[in-house]
Amino acid sequence: MELLRPSSLEEATAALGNGSRALVGGTELVPLVRDGLVQADTLVDVRDLIPRGIDGSRIGAGTTLAELEVEPQIPEALREACRLAASPQLRNMGSVGGNLLQSTRCWYWRLKYPCYLHGGDVCHAKAGEHREHAIFGNERCASAHPSDVAAALVALGASMRTTSRELPVADLYRLPTDDNRDVAPLEPGELILDLDVPTPDSSVYLKAMERQRYAFPLVGVAAARTAGTTRIALAGVAPIPWLLASPEALDEATPLPRTAYKVDIARALVRRALEAL
Amino acid sequence: MARLIKTEKEVEGRYTEQWIVVDEDALDQWPEGPLEVVGREVPRIDGHDRARGLAGYTADVRLPGLLQAAVLRSPHARARVKSIDLSPALAADGVRAAVGPDDIEGLTDEPAYMGAAVAAVAADTFGAARAAIDLIDVEWEELEPLLDPDEAVKQGSLLDESVTYERGDFERGLAEADAVVEAEYRTQVVLHNSLETHQSIAHWEDGGLTIYISTQYIWGVRAAVAKQTGLPEDKVRVICLAMGGGFGSKNSPGDYTPIAIELAKRTGQPVRCALTRREENVAAGNRNATIQRITAAARADGTLTALGGEFVNAIGFSGWSSSTEGPMQMLYACENMRTVKHSAKLNLPPMAAFRAPGFVEGTFGLECLLDELAAKLDIDPLELRRRNYADSDRMDERPFSSKQLAECYRRAEPHWQRRNEVRASSSGPWKRGVGLASQIWYGGGGPPSYAWVRVGSNGHAQVVTAMQDIGTGSRTAMAQIAAEELGIPVDHVHVSLGDSARGPYATLSAGSSTIPSMGPATRSAAADAKRQILEIAAQRFNLEERVLDLKGGKIVSADGGAWELTEITGLLEDAQILGNGARGPNPTGMRVLTFGVQVAEVAVDVETGEVRVDKIVAIHDVGRVINALGASSQVEGGIIQGLGHTLSEERLVDPHTGRVLTQSLDAYKLPTIADVPEIVTDLVDVPDPHLTNLGAKGLGEPPIIPVAAAVANAIRDATGADVRSLPISREEMLKALREAEAKKRVPVGTASS
Amino acid sequence: MIELEVNGQRYELEAQVGRSLADVLRDDLGLIGTKVACGEGHCGACTVQLDGVPVLSCITLVHTVGPRRVTTIEGLRDHPLVDAFVAADALQCGFCTPGQIVTASALVAANPSPSKDEIRHAMAGNLCRCGTYPKIEEAISSWQG
Repeated sequence: MELLRPSSLEEATAALGNGSRALVGGTELVPLVRDGLVQADTLVDVRDLIPRGIDGSRIGAGTTLAELEVEPQIPEALREACRLAASPQLRNMGSVGGNLLQSTRCWYWRLKYPCYLHGGDVCHAKAGEHREHAIFGNERCASAHPSDVAAALVALGASMRTTSRELPVADLYRLPTDDNRDVAPLEPGELILDLDVPTPDSSVYLKAMERQRYAFPLVGVAAARTAGTTRIALAGVAPIPWLLASPEALDEATPLPRTAYKVDIARALVRRALEAL
Repeated sequence: MARLIKTEKEVEGRYTEQWIVVDEDALDQWPEGPLEVVGREVPRIDGHDRARGLAGYTADVRLPGLLQAAVLRSPHARARVKSIDLSPALAADGVRAAVGPDDIEGLTDEPAYMGAAVAAVAADTFGAARAAIDLIDVEWEELEPLLDPDEAVKQGSLLDESVTYERGDFERGLAEADAVVEAEYRTQVVLHNSLETHQSIAHWEDGGLTIYISTQYIWGVRAAVAKQTGLPEDKVRVICLAMGGGFGSKNSPGDYTPIAIELAKRTGQPVRCALTRREENVAAGNRNATIQRITAAARADGTLTALGGEFVNAIGFSGWSSSTEGPMQMLYACENMRTVKHSAKLNLPPMAAFRAPGFVEGTFGLECLLDELAAKLDIDPLELRRRNYADSDRMDERPFSSKQLAECYRRAEPHWQRRNEVRASSSGPWKRGVGLASQIWYGGGGPPSYAWVRVGSNGHAQVVTAMQDIGTGSRTAMAQIAAEELGIPVDHVHVSLGDSARGPYATLSAGSSTIPSMGPATRSAAADAKRQILEIAAQRFNLEERVLDLKGGKIVSADGGAWELTEITGLLEDAQILGNGARGPNPTGMRVLTFGVQVAEVAVDVETGEVRVDKIVAIHDVGRVINALGASSQVEGGIIQGLGHTLSEERLVDPHTGRVLTQSLDAYKLPTIADVPEIVTDLVDVPDPHLTNLGAKGLGEPPIIPVAAAVANAIRDATGADVRSLPISREEMLKALREAEAKKRVPVGTASS
Repeated sequence: MIELEVNGQRYELEAQVGRSLADVLRDDLGLIGTKVACGEGHCGACTVQLDGVPVLSCITLVHTVGPRRVTTIEGLRDHPLVDAFVAADALQCGFCTPGQIVTASALVAANPSPSKDEIRHAMAGNLCRCGTYPKIEEAISSWQG
């Protein structure tokens, strides 16, 4: 394996592509490479190249979650999502951009079952152990997207700038399809540079997890109200961060036998989130 | 004088008879209550070394030429190795040796659980060894695994014969009852997850074999390795200086030790075989799951007329069948009893003892069922327990050597009385309640166990014994006991342990047995040294020996004389006083047990299923307390492990393939500091008058036993929901709440039983 | 060849790309106070500080450390927290303890009198299987004596 430390973004994007991966905090990528879940013969360390810090509504994608959780200028939903994510050390290491690209915690996927998300035909979780899995968008793959931060950004209507485009954060994600199993596809060499997070009138993030700290969301509910419009997004309930059209949309959930309880939790947390706004 | 006796030895509820040599235990017990050093709060004497990262764990041992092993473990729950070719691994860079199923007993070509060891390699680095494992060419024939415990019982796939225990007339007891409750309780598989993974280093040297190993039983490893290798026992040296947790899972050499031994033999170099975290969570043992279909019956006044049930231990492919039915048989004075235990043998990873095996699981079922009964009878749950208090052991009518459970109940009263106040503090979706559960367990320790105490010319003492301190603080306890007996400060005592070549035989550190076994031996050795010092002092000062004593670092006489201890020990220059001590026998014809009660306060968010444990009061009778500080740490640690078992921990297995899914610590959720309730420790601290020269029992296991039941009973108090399956996840809690709601809606008069 | 500054001392060493900071500290520099208990970033036993910030050395590639100053337990042996941990009995088997102290020392450097909630929030990434958590909380609350 090779590790490159390019001195400019141009050099970095040129180095990225086939067989190489960009590394910032490494909290996700390093274990995935070691486990053979991500193939990379070259790692490109871009930690010093990705913008870091806050400038008005702009957040550098290299800003760590630890920096954001104490940042008074950002919306409450984002701050709380950062505060309740992962562990202190992981928040110290992990960048907000990298957090958006993290893979599911589905044990079948992590243990390299030849599942749908890995390019196979079946979702092993659906017929197996799936209590932490999806209640929406789970027809082909029942994995749950683990990012608290992504749900918050989707609810906040945030957008992102990459080395090649600007797009709403919500548009980064797509359910896996027969043609493409990647739920957050970036172009080869594309790096997330910064986020633009509009300031809502009010926002909130509520998280149900199996421990008081340091667990992925069973259900995370982010809600943001801006000029009378409320957006709700959920973490941990679908293969991607899930934008909920309305509280009633929970009636359309398609839980698995062992994930029905997540609908109950989501109902309670959505109601509480709306009350809190 | 040495005395040969035949005695009953108990480890985790399993009794064996054996011949032992003991010293007459002529010492009177010290008076009750805290003494000069014993019973006080003493920070652990090796605390700084451990905190600074200076303590040498097996994981830290570095030897010249040390090779690293990696193990090929079966990815299948049941398979046959049709062919295996080690040569690609042997040809890989840095690989020094490889072994397969034909080479040693610990490797198999018919793996019967995921994680069974099939082959292993030794290489210059762990990375090279790991990579070489992937090169081994194996052709597997996958076979259908047996995963369902009830199905296993039906098919007769049993690890042990089923055991039926009866006393009185169970059916008559049911017929005499005014109320009967029946329920099915289930407990899950939990994983020990000691932070130092299972590992050993094998080093052939000096015509023998040295094993460095993270173990709870130095001498057991020595005996097992001697047997495996055919070496005489004195050619096997076992070393464990500091140890990163075991909780019952490190009582034997495992599969990794024979692998390291064979690879070291083949390479002529020392070899480490260390499990990775993921191997640890597959192949290092577990607390087996249980199914408990149990019944309790009582008269209207609360007198139990019958207890019984069917207990299924879902054990995995090997291990042993712990006494899940034990609490039911032993805790209460119930005359009519019938228990049946089945030991299902499954294609799942082996069970290993885990902190009070069986009793943790069985207490959850029994103590929850008792609260269901109390509700049906409309009797206060604490009162129900008092009304069925056992004054003697109901298994064979032996008297207890001591039992302070009534005192524990008395001390629990004010905490229990808080329940109206706690319930009233419910607000919105958060419902609050209080629950309690009793604890019964072994923990008396026993012989054989030996210690030496030597006192040098500076008046400082050294306790020498080849025991292990697995993190409980037993090293510090030995220093306290020696200091107390010798009348010197605890920082004048050094404890040398952890090396079979440098100290006498010591017990295993399991079954809450280290302090009750080793403590009396250490006291007896210190007393021997003291006697010798006083003999010499009597000659030196022309006094009668009986007027002399050791106190406050001095030799004192009854008439007020006082001399520095060094005035005697200093005479000997570099020579030393050497005291020899042995653990005396257990009291004949008596049952030595530990008791306790815990009271839990919980809050439940009935909309999201979140359970928060706010407070646990732990009141236990473990005889004399040696270190009040370390004891409270043991209690807290047991409760926190118990809370993981109760709320968040569960090993998950794919129901089709039998593969373990929760191998890493993101998926398997140990409690964090943020999950810890307020814990109040209250130890009765009355010495057991019949037990040894100390009157001390063990404390490692008792505190974990009642946690799950106390919490589940508090949840019922708060919400009316019966939680009968562990862990109480959000899913489980919401399900129980839904069922409680449905039960409430059943019109009066149509409810069954 | 890479350069590392560990506990104020500079090292130059050869290391294969992909090796973790934890392995280099333990195997190449002999700094065995840093423990590896899971090796995949989940337990906190391997915590060290980079420029004073607690990180997981088992998933930090040694080549990405760069000029950041590494502090391990060996650099904190005389920190008052060590005495506080021992006095409070905030350790049992001790395998997680160096990592606990590395994390705690960063906490108290930023916030000398943390509240109970702040301690729990900052320490939640250091798992202890023996369950010393109440005593850790006590040690951090009382470290200033």
